Amino acid sequence: MKHIIEEESKYAASAKAFRANVTRDLGNEELRSNFRGAMDYLMDKRKGAFSSEDELEVLREQCKLIKQRCLAKLPHLLEQLEGNLEKNGIKVHWAETITEANEIIAQLIAQKKGKSVVKGKSMVSEETALNDYLEERNVECLESDMGEYIVQLAKEHPSHIIMPAIHQNKKQVAKLFADNIEGFEYSTDVDTLIQQGRTVLRDKFCQADVGISGVNFAVAETGTLCLVENEGNGRMCTTIPDLHIAITGIEKVIEHLADVPPLLSLLTRSATGQAISTYFNMINSPRKPGEKDGPQEVHLVLLDNGRSQAFADEELRQTLQCIRCGACMNHCPVYTRIGGHAYGTVYPGPIGKMISPHMLGLDATSNLPTASTLCGACGEVCPVKIPIPKILLRLRQESVKPKSQQPEVMKGQGAGRNNVEALIWKVWAQVHKSPKLYALSMWGLTRFRFLMPKKLGGWTSVRTAPKPAAATLHERIKSKQSQHGRG
Amino acid sequence: MTNTKADIKAVSNTARGNILAKLKAEVNGADYDKLPKEIPYDYPEFSREENLAQFISELEKNHAQVIKTTKDNMAEVISEQLAALNITKLLYGENDAHREVINGLDNKIESQVYDFSIDNNKEMLFNECPAALSSSRCSIAATGSIVLWPDENEPRSLSLVPPVHFVIVDANNLYADFASLITAQQWQDKLPTNVVLISGPSKTADIQQTLAYGAHGPKALIVLLLNI
Repeated sequence: MKHIIEEESKYAASAKAFRANVTRDLGNEELRSNFRGAMDYLMDKRKGAFSSEDELEVLREQCKLIKQRCLAKLPHLLEQLEGNLEKNGIKVHWAETITEANEIIAQLIAQKKGKSVVKGKSMVSEETALNDYLEERNVECLESDMGEYIVQLAKEHPSHIIMPAIHQNKKQVAKLFADNIEGFEYSTDVDTLIQQGRTVLRDKFCQADVGISGVNFAVAETGTLCLVENEGNGRMCTTIPDLHIAITGIEKVIEHLADVPPLLSLLTRSATGQAISTYFNMINSPRKPGEKDGPQEVHLVLLDNGRSQAFADEELRQTLQCIRCGACMNHCPVYTRIGGHAYGTVYPGPIGKMISPHMLGLDATSNLPTASTLCGACGEVCPVKIPIPKILLRLRQESVKPKSQQPEVMKGQGAGRNNVEALIWKVWAQVHKSPKLYALSMWGLTRFRFLMPKKLGGWTSVRTAPKPAAATLHERIKSKQSQHGRG
Repeated sequence: MTNTKADIKAVSNTARGNILAKLKAEVNGADYDKLPKEIPYDYPEFSREENLAQFISELEKNHAQVIKTTKDNMAEVISEQLAALNITKLLYGENDAHREVINGLDNKIESQVYDFSIDNNKEMLFNECPAALSSSRCSIAATGSIVLWPDENEPRSLSLVPPVHFVIVDANNLYADFASLITAQQWQDKLPTNVVLISGPSKTADIQQTLAYGAHGPKALIVLLLNI
């Protein structure tokens, strides 16, 4: 049997380039204004959706506990989900890595001789870079969510998990359409642009042999795949083509159908401030005998890709509570300024900083957890109460832990460790433990302050160098006291 | 790439074993009876009138058109709406309850029953069906949502592909919220191939946060509200 040759995620390289990406994007004024405008809009929408602070808090606590319960039972729920899906006629596949998931999907399509795929929005398929994989195998893959369609035309990837093309303004989209769609006359009228996208994509829905979608909630109790969307492209992808393949992370399973309403309510309100999305689509089986439409085959691919690593640590497990609403990025001062692409990962913003290290390893992502001011806004708005700042601190620790220290909690442990930095902290700790050493070092620092260099690496690239005072605080207080004593 | 392909069944089986083993090792011995109690928010009770008002207001906020009508007037209302939209054809499901409505339509309107399989009729469905009429199972006041329970007579694409969707909603089947609906009807016991909650016409704000209607699904959702 031939084994699958594991491919490294293309996002490992772009995540490594984080600092360069940040410099590039911070200097792009148009991009910054696009993000500022979008984040202000989304924060405002969310605020308007929660009129009762009391309701919000009760719902957040309830949903946190729901997700924690479902995670506590995760392996059992996955088995139950599999059993019920199979009973309903939906085939289930498991993948530990992105390449396994891609290969499974490629073969499912090949078995049906599929040539053209329409995709609903699926961040997990972005995670696996499925489009690239299929296109290398001569399968045309078209994104059908309007935002995803725009980023695909622009040969980019989503800069936001809910609004993928948020980094582009309508002028940029108009130019993109004019350059790429035959017969489109440049217009910045959003209705005209959307109707143009509709025309192109409806043809594709009609012709495609395969539909690929993500999953928002997979209900174990009933074997139901739930999709949340406004556009109708998710329904198109899961209804019109003959073959529907859904792909999702293992953490998306929930126990009961009754768990859906509170989670759904918090999801749409936190994401876009909507009481509910236009469509809430619950898929239970392929087309049954006598039914006139719907796919003949439905498959679900369950992907691990580092999630089980997060699961194994009690604190980091909370990362998997995430329901992908995007509120943390909407409220993040860092995300708003550097934008979604600077992170270099599929998932940007606070959730990206928490989850990407499990997917790509700390080797590629050790910078990400440091890209936070720890202001706490993300944790405050998180609908499932993930203590995001705390988890970021933990990830910082994991990234500077000595490589050999056991137990190894994360792939790439110690990747962010710098021996000079480690030594500095060691000395710092020693000095602060001993009053004598402390006094001596302070004396030296103040007396030899003229030796302080003007340039201190990254610190002075945007700041002036710190200048120690002429005397220590202790000395000044002492001198003040003796003056008073004399007076 | 060589011609031999990895056996995806074997790949999946191995992955399944590995993933479940890793997860189970972590939850081994967990006592699920000790999980903290989840307390739902206690929503106030609303009267039928309040629920109806909320239902209509949410739908209208989301650009759906709500027309209060009666069984006897429905044909006339649909005919008028179609005339205003310059549409002369209506697709409908093979539902006995609709027969009377269909028979009562203005004779300029051609009615077509969805009695075909989608497989060889996609072009026709996408290009020659400007409007559709469907029924609904029930609805939800809090979010202004209409629950469709497609079956062999009313296929899933009936409410999705035609650009104008008329949906008949019985005010007597209105529930306060999604949670109480699922509990009241015990959905977990029996679900059809597909259930969909619809809360307005298709829309998107993907270009510069500007709301546009008619993204991929119906551009217009016209709700025929009965038994108010």
